Amino acid sequence: MWNSVSGDTKWNDPENAICIASGPLGGTPGYPGGGKSIVTTISPLTGIPIDSNVGGYFGPYKKFAGFDVLELTGKSDSEVIILIDGIESTIKIYEVSGLTDDSYELSMALTDYFDKEKPVNISVVSTGSAAKNTELGCLNFTWFDAKRKRVRYKQAGRGGIGTVFAHKNIKAVVARWSTVSMKTNQPADLDALKNVTKLHAGEINTLDPKQNRMALVGTTHLVPIMNDHDCLPVNNFRYGMHPESKVIGEEVYEHIFDKGFDGCWRGCAVACAHGVKDFVPFTGPYKGQKVFVDGPEYETVAGCGSNLGVFDPFFILEMNFYCDTYGLDTISIGTGIAFVMECFEMGLITKEHTGGMDLSFGNRLNALELLHQMARGEGFGVIVGKGIRKMKEIFASDFGADAAIMQDIGMESKGLEFSEYMTKESLAQQGGYGMALKGPQHDEAWLIFLDMVHNFMPTFENKAEALHWFPMFRTWFGLCGLCKLPWNDIVPEDNRETKEPAKVIKHVGWYADFFSSVTGRKVKPEDLIPMSEAVYNFQRLFNLKMGYGTREHDTLPYRSMGPVTVDEYLSRQERYDTALTEKHGVDISGMTVEEKVAQLRKFREEQYELLKDAVYERRGWTPNGIPTVATVKRLGIDFPDVMELLKSHGVE
Amino acid sequence: MITVDDKKMEWKNDMSVRDLLNQLPHTNFCAAVRLNGKLVSSPFFETTKIPDNAVIYLLPLIAGG
Repeated sequence: MWNSVSGDTKWNDPENAICIASGPLGGTPGYPGGGKSIVTTISPLTGIPIDSNVGGYFGPYKKFAGFDVLELTGKSDSEVIILIDGIESTIKIYEVSGLTDDSYELSMALTDYFDKEKPVNISVVSTGSAAKNTELGCLNFTWFDAKRKRVRYKQAGRGGIGTVFAHKNIKAVVARWSTVSMKTNQPADLDALKNVTKLHAGEINTLDPKQNRMALVGTTHLVPIMNDHDCLPVNNFRYGMHPESKVIGEEVYEHIFDKGFDGCWRGCAVACAHGVKDFVPFTGPYKGQKVFVDGPEYETVAGCGSNLGVFDPFFILEMNFYCDTYGLDTISIGTGIAFVMECFEMGLITKEHTGGMDLSFGNRLNALELLHQMARGEGFGVIVGKGIRKMKEIFASDFGADAAIMQDIGMESKGLEFSEYMTKESLAQQGGYGMALKGPQHDEAWLIFLDMVHNFMPTFENKAEALHWFPMFRTWFGLCGLCKLPWNDIVPEDNRETKEPAKVIKHVGWYADFFSSVTGRKVKPEDLIPMSEAVYNFQRLFNLKMGYGTREHDTLPYRSMGPVTVDEYLSRQERYDTALTEKHGVDISGMTVEEKVAQLRKFREEQYELLKDAVYERRGWTPNGIPTVATVKRLGIDFPDVMELLKSHGVE
Repeated sequence: MITVDDKKMEWKNDMSVRDLLNQLPHTNFCAAVRLNGKLVSSPFFETTKIPDNAVIYLLPLIAGG
């Protein structure tokens, strides 16, 4: 991508590239989480590289067919389907017309067309109708579920990659491959690979039923836990818990999910990709018809449920289904509609702007109608589909809405909508979101519990160290073609007795063994971080090249730091009063609530800036958030164009 | 008796989840437990009583998706 695009390239320029890679380890059957791909492009939402980690069989099949990375550039005059056929050793590009925009229907038809006898040989990448009309388009990656005899989905959801895909006039990319075994990825040491695979898969098979039960409930166990700790976003991140949240968590979805093996890659012991069969939507083109829904996961439940003020598991299923069918990111949809609903309740927008729709919190039908409008490319849904950053501009310029309050409550950073965790009481997680390279997605750093609940990082230096190590190690999973969940969502029973339980060092050791066995390059656990540190810093430099990547872009809406409104303050008054008096030494007697809100805000915004200082220093960056010359030289990324870029920003 | 992470432990009348964790080493990481299959989060450790013959698992760090 670095070589394809210039600093002036926009998302819809032909030279923008979509890259799909599955790393050296992706495509290892049986190793838990061993079949992921990373997808990158210049995002329509942010203008910088987005990366999205996705399951499904496409990445491995493409690699087995002979390609480590697929790079899609240019723009076709007519719609095309690209077939990478690893069985026939051919690549074919088909000009097509008149095919459905419905992602499920298209994927099933192409699976049937390209290998009717053995549909499991096919994986399809596609998007849907709303990707053409919005900037929130996702990519759906399929695998064929032999038991249920249907295609299943995982999404490269974040950052509008599906929108770029649709703009290039790519209808689908299809990979075809046949038999898969542990030898297919050509490991250097098959016996060592089998050994470490057996250890990790065996542990998950033993411990997952006792811990998070992801093979039964996916990630829906997080809903009640987040709610109980005041971290579940409710009504556009105003609040962190709600008494009705019990009906959208694991206790309900365990009974709704269709039973059976649900791995998004072959033999994955975590097997968390659950779905619901025979669901009947009550709106839209599938109204009254039985459909299969892939999901929901925690993020969709929180984003399209509690954050919209809706506590209805079946409504969430319908949002999930139509987002997939239309090719939309459920996280940006949830956070974006939550913003719209708060604007509506605040009177910043009215029915006059929404086409007559009441969009107050809890309005199920009109939330769904927004999705259908995005698919049809009409109505207020088209504005919502531009994402929060552009909505703020439109609401202010066209509707006269107050820009300052929208800046506080619009939950985006760098242009990307927040994923679904409340961060008001975790400074480290504020940093995890605000200093994430691509924008506020939790896959770089998820530190809420370590910071807020366990108080494992009381100092700025502790937090900065965590905001160095965790993003680097989490990046390693994307680089290698792996899923992060088996690392630290299911942990050894004796993990808590180790020196640094948060790092799950036993598993880090297994990942080093896994890497060594596949690549033949012998590595130790301490060798893994430098691998991704170079890439991480290079991505930061890529942001710089695109006109971002400096301190001013690592900002956050105040809603993510503390209470914006008097109501929010009063809802947790004891907590905030205590913070002012005990932590900051303020005499609050005689202060109005408005004054306390302002005082707390001053402290919290100052703390966030101090955190930036500490993190930049730990990462080897300047106070302006740019990697130093010493850092790029240490990491071996001191290429001539990198040095020139640094020089142009005064870093020499 | 109760079973904690597959190990037998003595049960005491009126024992809370917090009482149990206070008896065990290295539990400061624990944000939730499974008590007879049901999740109990740390804000409810004090108020949740453990019945006799309960089966309990201590959940890991809850590291996020």
